[in-house]
Amino acid sequence: MTPSADAESPRASASPKSAMHRFRLASWAPVIVLVLLCAVIAVINPNFLSFGNFVRIAQAAMIPLVLGLGATFIILMGSIDLSVEGILTLSAVILSLLVLNGANGNDLGLLAIPLVLLVGAGVGFINGAVHVKLKVPSFMTTLGTWFIGVGVANALLGGTAVRINDKLVRALAISRDPLVGLPWGVWIAIFCFFVALVIQNYTRLGRYIYALGGGEDLAGLSGIRASRVRIMAFTLAGVFYAVGGILAAAQLGLGNSQIGLGRLFTTITAVVVGGTSLAGGSGSVQQTLVGVLVVVVLSNGMVLMGIPPSVQIGVQGLMIIAAVALSMDRKLVRIVK
Amino acid sequence: MSPAAATPALSLAGIEKRFPGVHALKDVSIDIMPGEVVGLIGENGAGKSTLMKILSGVYQPDGGEIRLGGQPTRFMNAADANLQGIGMVFQEQSLLTNLSVGENIYLGTEAAFTRFGMIDWKALNAAASRQLEKVEVDVDPRARTADLDFATRQMVELAKTLTLEDQAAGHLVILLDEPTSVLERAEIEILFSRVRALKSRASFIFVSHRLDEVLELSDRIYVMKDGAVVADLPAADANVTQLHQLMVGRSLQAEYYREGLQKPFQDEVVVEAEALSLGHDYRDVSFSLHAGEILGIAGVIGSGREELTRTLAGFAPHDRGKLRIGGKEVRFRTPAEAVDNGMGYIPRERRVEGLVLFLSVAANITLGNLRSLTRNGLIDNREERRLATRWVDRLNVKTPSIDALCLNLSGGNQQKVVLAKWLNAKAKVLILDHPTRGLDVGAKEEVYELVRAVTAEGVAVVLTSDTLEETIGLSHTVLVMRDGAITHRADARPGGKPTQVELIEHMV
Amino acid sequence: MRALIDSIGADRIRQYLPLATLVILVIAVGVAQPAFLEPATLLQLAADTAVLFILATGVTFVIMLGGIDLSLQSMASLASVIVALTITRLGYGAFVLAVAVGAIVGLLAGLAHVRLRIPSFIATLAMGGVLFSAALVISHEQSITLGEAERGYQTWITGSVAGVPSVVIVGLIVLVVAHILQSRTAFGRYSAAIGAGEPAAYASGVKVDRQKVIAYALSASFAALAGVILAGRLSSGSPTLAAELLLPSIAAVVVGGTAITGGVGSIWRTLVGALIISVVRIGMTFLGVNIFAQNIVFGAVLIIAVAITIDRSKIPIVK
Repeated sequence: MTPSADAESPRASASPKSAMHRFRLASWAPVIVLVLLCAVIAVINPNFLSFGNFVRIAQAAMIPLVLGLGATFIILMGSIDLSVEGILTLSAVILSLLVLNGANGNDLGLLAIPLVLLVGAGVGFINGAVHVKLKVPSFMTTLGTWFIGVGVANALLGGTAVRINDKLVRALAISRDPLVGLPWGVWIAIFCFFVALVIQNYTRLGRYIYALGGGEDLAGLSGIRASRVRIMAFTLAGVFYAVGGILAAAQLGLGNSQIGLGRLFTTITAVVVGGTSLAGGSGSVQQTLVGVLVVVVLSNGMVLMGIPPSVQIGVQGLMIIAAVALSMDRKLVRIVK
Repeated sequence: MSPAAATPALSLAGIEKRFPGVHALKDVSIDIMPGEVVGLIGENGAGKSTLMKILSGVYQPDGGEIRLGGQPTRFMNAADANLQGIGMVFQEQSLLTNLSVGENIYLGTEAAFTRFGMIDWKALNAAASRQLEKVEVDVDPRARTADLDFATRQMVELAKTLTLEDQAAGHLVILLDEPTSVLERAEIEILFSRVRALKSRASFIFVSHRLDEVLELSDRIYVMKDGAVVADLPAADANVTQLHQLMVGRSLQAEYYREGLQKPFQDEVVVEAEALSLGHDYRDVSFSLHAGEILGIAGVIGSGREELTRTLAGFAPHDRGKLRIGGKEVRFRTPAEAVDNGMGYIPRERRVEGLVLFLSVAANITLGNLRSLTRNGLIDNREERRLATRWVDRLNVKTPSIDALCLNLSGGNQQKVVLAKWLNAKAKVLILDHPTRGLDVGAKEEVYELVRAVTAEGVAVVLTSDTLEETIGLSHTVLVMRDGAITHRADARPGGKPTQVELIEHMV
Repeated sequence: MRALIDSIGADRIRQYLPLATLVILVIAVGVAQPAFLEPATLLQLAADTAVLFILATGVTFVIMLGGIDLSLQSMASLASVIVALTITRLGYGAFVLAVAVGAIVGLLAGLAHVRLRIPSFIATLAMGGVLFSAALVISHEQSITLGEAERGYQTWITGSVAGVPSVVIVGLIVLVVAHILQSRTAFGRYSAAIGAGEPAAYASGVKVDRQKVIAYALSASFAALAGVILAGRLSSGSPTLAAELLLPSIAAVVVGGTAITGGVGSIWRTLVGALIISVVRIGMTFLGVNIFAQNIVFGAVLIIAVAITIDRSKIPIVK
């Protein structure tokens, strides 16, 4: 650009437009990737488009989606939550010990579910309170609660696994609705998605989470109490992970300490692949839905193509790096830690 | 308007504010009448920003009284000031760019539109539209703020401020802090006409470096200098030259800047800039800097001098033109490259960029040139201590030991450690970016003496400073910049120094 | 002046807190079980701490810079698999290969972090996934037992010199090398400067990116070395061999008094921290705490130690 009289204002002309451009592209790229992925896999293996495979994908996506919804709120604030597996495992184990099971005499039935959600909320609240009150960065706080959660689950189990004998709980993941033929768990995940969507779009908490991610100091100037929002967001995320724990226990029919293994990884992959920025402030639960589908469809396709599951973790790792690298605005941030 | 007739909307009486080593506000009294636009001008460091921070509740005054509509009050924090009817439109915009316009306008006050925990976006956006109408800006409240240009964002900020009308009991007072610095002329016209139209709704305090704009918009003007109000005059009776003189005030003290020690510079050209340009920041900047010369760069915020300084220090590579150091053409992509070419940067953010506060004095002194201390891959600790001790003695750094953390030194001694770092690295060019900011008088004098001493040994200096006095007093040559270009070059030999008014004319 | 004295005093107490904790813990366990204080038991403790210490030492370099490495357990496991697969063909070369892979992996993670500006916790988390996947694939998802024939190559890990387990000596060598790197070289100094004040280090001409890449390469190399030793001690290699070691390693660094905000810390502190973790582990086993449930304690210890050592002035907004 050549200097001229109309170039007087230094920032006005250039940056907002390019920012807009980037925003639009970034939010559509994951959808395009998803569509291309589906097309390629369908061409290679037409079975991909069968109803049976559709159900398989939905079933594989339900837990990552629920976990991803919770994590999205945390990442939107510019924080991170590594306690996904901890809360999920603890919830799954507590559920298995409260309903009709092979280890003790409890039989709370579906009443156990609200209790488990409360446990998730409690651990999430601890995450938030420790993070905010002791000013410990979220990745350290949640690294700690990750292992505490798994540890408590282990202590409750005493190193074994607990079989779930409650038919209703198992039915959550196994039996299907008579209309479409999807497992009830998928419907629960869809319901969670809409709850998350409402929280994101229609509540003050949702707005303030975006505001904190966009600029915590500026949000503070508008009278927003950041610490309260943070604690609430972590609590909310805890509830979503507990739902994930319930679904996982129902699916497996067991509560064991390995039930969470690898789920943190899938969750973070899904959120960042969906295009939610780790810097906070931009992204959405809709984008996380797309991210979850990309991850699940890809692994489904890899299974259809006969690629061993062990490779998938590596592929997810590379996807995280690629997605974060593409969404980072490297001009804005010089110091990255 | 006669101040005696009505009760002022806002009045400050005898406001005092002290920071360690600085008396920032001295007995400041200001009245703002309802519907009045009051201009507030002064050099950098005159106390304007401190005053604004007190008005917006960020700082608490140490003495004096704030009265709103005649009643004494206090502003506990920014939100409290808001509730009492003080609105702010900042130079650095305070809108969250990832939210929509409507969301920004009612951020923190959504409760009014919330039913059963759900925000009624239709009602909120309709209300936001009404606020936007007040400032006559045609923007969809659902638009993302990042997509707006800066002038529109400024209007949105004004609209956001006007929502206080519905909350605050009394008359609104809106602080406009350098609102025009990112706007173009046509946009400024629009902003001014809106402000005039809003005078029935609010009073304004208008802070700006651009004196012509202050004259154009204000009813009355307060001039500040060294933390005190030195003049209060109706805008109709004022002119730019008169304001310049009021801002500058005192005559130059030759002795203070050690002009007696100012030696003529050498013939050797150390730095040569030829039509140097960087984007919208500055353009076609040419100069030659000689060994032993101090080149002062004067200019207001937005003149491009800060960016030029950052280019020379390696933070912002130029995109056109040529830069030669010792005859070799260079383009610094990182500070490391600048350091390798003999540049030494003494930043204004001394505690952030100047020193690693949590390292010792010795480690900071050797940080710029650790390589020369390394033998077989290991740091020669004895040599390091010897060098550090030598510099501490030579620059008279007051520290309990060379192992003390820099965190615990006073500002002046910290600055000496930064200087020692570059002298130890044998820098040929020092870039002094506001070198005496935050220092007390005694520490300033020591810095001036050291700068004279190093230039006498042939080190070249590029200087940007908070005050014109300092720039003129120290420099051999002064460049004046405005809107990214050099507008004036002045010779500043002892005895033949330019006056501040002469330079200011080319700055604004 | 008063504030100055106070801060020095507070710092001094803080500095010796880990060491005091270690001494008290050792005495406490010793009182409960006097056999613990016999030289043979203490040497065994040192031997059991070596792997943890080496892992923690590697990540200390990264934490000093203000970063984090969440891939170290995967790197160690991968290294164990590499050793198990190649020792028959390569002999001692298998160890070199494993550590060399570590160096390259660290280099790549470091480059991803500094070049692509990906936060270190996410870059290393992702890298950890890639490494885990690689280990699963090359090991065919199995634990590989080292044969009798290859045990000969392992004497530098499993043997002993004059009654001192070799692994303790290896640990001491690592201590000396890492200490010199950290306290006597330009790299160590630059790391401390970057961790304590990255903008000032950058403005002073420090090649910040280069130092960071070196730190990640060191971290992964040390993790690989730890994996090699673990393979030797357990006579096997597996993709999950070191899976449980991430949390104790980071906890060891932080408990030793190195702040996760960077700048403050040393290899000595990490040694003290690793010993604390080991003694706590032994104490808990003695008290009959379920081995899996011990993670509860380590998780809590980690959070508390971070809360004590963190420098809040460096992070105005904690995210």
